[in-house]
Amino acid sequence: MPIGAYYLVAAVLFATGLVGVLIRRNLIVLFMCVELMLNAVNLTLVAAARMWGGPDGQVFVFFVIVVAAAEVVVGLALIVNIFFRRGTLDVDAQHLLRN
Amino acid sequence: MTALLAQTTGLAAGFTTEVVLFIVFAGLAIGAGIAMVSLRNMVHGALMLAVNMLSLAGLYLVLESAFLSVVQVIVYAGAVMVLFLFVIMLLGVDRDDLLVEVRIGTRVTAVAAGLVVVAILGYGLVGPYTGAASTCPGQDGGVPATATPGSVACVGFADTLSGLEADGAGSVDIIAVPLFTRWSFPFEMAALLLTVATIGAMLLGRRSDPDPDVDPAWAPSMVLPERGPDDEDGDAFDDAFDEGDPDVSGPRHDDEPVPASVGPAANDDSVGDTHAGEEA
Repeated sequence: MPIGAYYLVAAVLFATGLVGVLIRRNLIVLFMCVELMLNAVNLTLVAAARMWGGPDGQVFVFFVIVVAAAEVVVGLALIVNIFFRRGTLDVDAQHLLRN
Repeated sequence: MTALLAQTTGLAAGFTTEVVLFIVFAGLAIGAGIAMVSLRNMVHGALMLAVNMLSLAGLYLVLESAFLSVVQVIVYAGAVMVLFLFVIMLLGVDRDDLLVEVRIGTRVTAVAAGLVVVAILGYGLVGPYTGAASTCPGQDGGVPATATPGSVACVGFADTLSGLEADGAGSVDIIAVPLFTRWSFPFEMAALLLTVATIGAMLLGRRSDPDPDVDPAWAPSMVLPERGPDDEDGDAFDDAFDEGDPDVSGPRHDDEPVPASVGPAANDDSVGDTHAGEEA
């Protein structure tokens, strides 16, 4: 397989996540779309690491996964707090930083 | 693994095991991604995202990154997706009624923007990265690729992996050695980040009903007004979260006079005013 095929799949996945971020208004779905985009970038990095035969791309993917896990933990805790305080997950309704 | 991916026994011409696995996993990943974006039921969307992540783990396996494949299954498809499903079911918001409210023009524009992104990225990829030279060695009948002008030659893990497997090691060593030598400081930072994220999630995940009168030990999740030495009865704390209702402030010790600057009349509607009053 040419390595560009993997790049194209990653590009399609990234665009899918981007479309999801643009058309959905639910906070949790937006978060899942961001995860999809992160995964697409990870696929690009893994493909590039194999193409060049070096380990650095895989190490970078490892760090991306760690940071994404931390991001999901804190972000979902924030989403739960927002839902308990406001009663909605609509991103268009979130325009205040306090109360 | 390289030999396994390159085998063609029983398959049609031009289809190695790698090609077949790539088609299956890439199709699953893209289909599940599109389904996740378009499904209205959020539980179904989360499960589609799980399918997407498992497919990506399969693609990592095809790309000879077995360690990352296992990490993807454990961390993403396991931990992260369980967390998503847990939050969706905890909040009881499995029906995304907001989806139907999005205007049709917005959807068309968003899909067009996505197609433009794919077109631009594909335009940059078609030239150098889709030629025969970018097919990795060992995957194409064992023949190493030769670089043609204007193309990128794939190096691949073939030599590295075969050398490691001769030593009884696997693809974990490819990532482990640089991770603990060259990238050891970022590794420590990742550990620190995970610790901070855990503590932050614990603080944010506490009960956030703003009712300190019922439970005096309750502390708000994100904002803790500092209590100065002249505010030991904590009414600045109460006032900050009572939303302009000074009558329901918490139990107050009467042995200390309340300074007028932090009393309910001075600041019954703003956290910022509370701080200003304490500093005055």
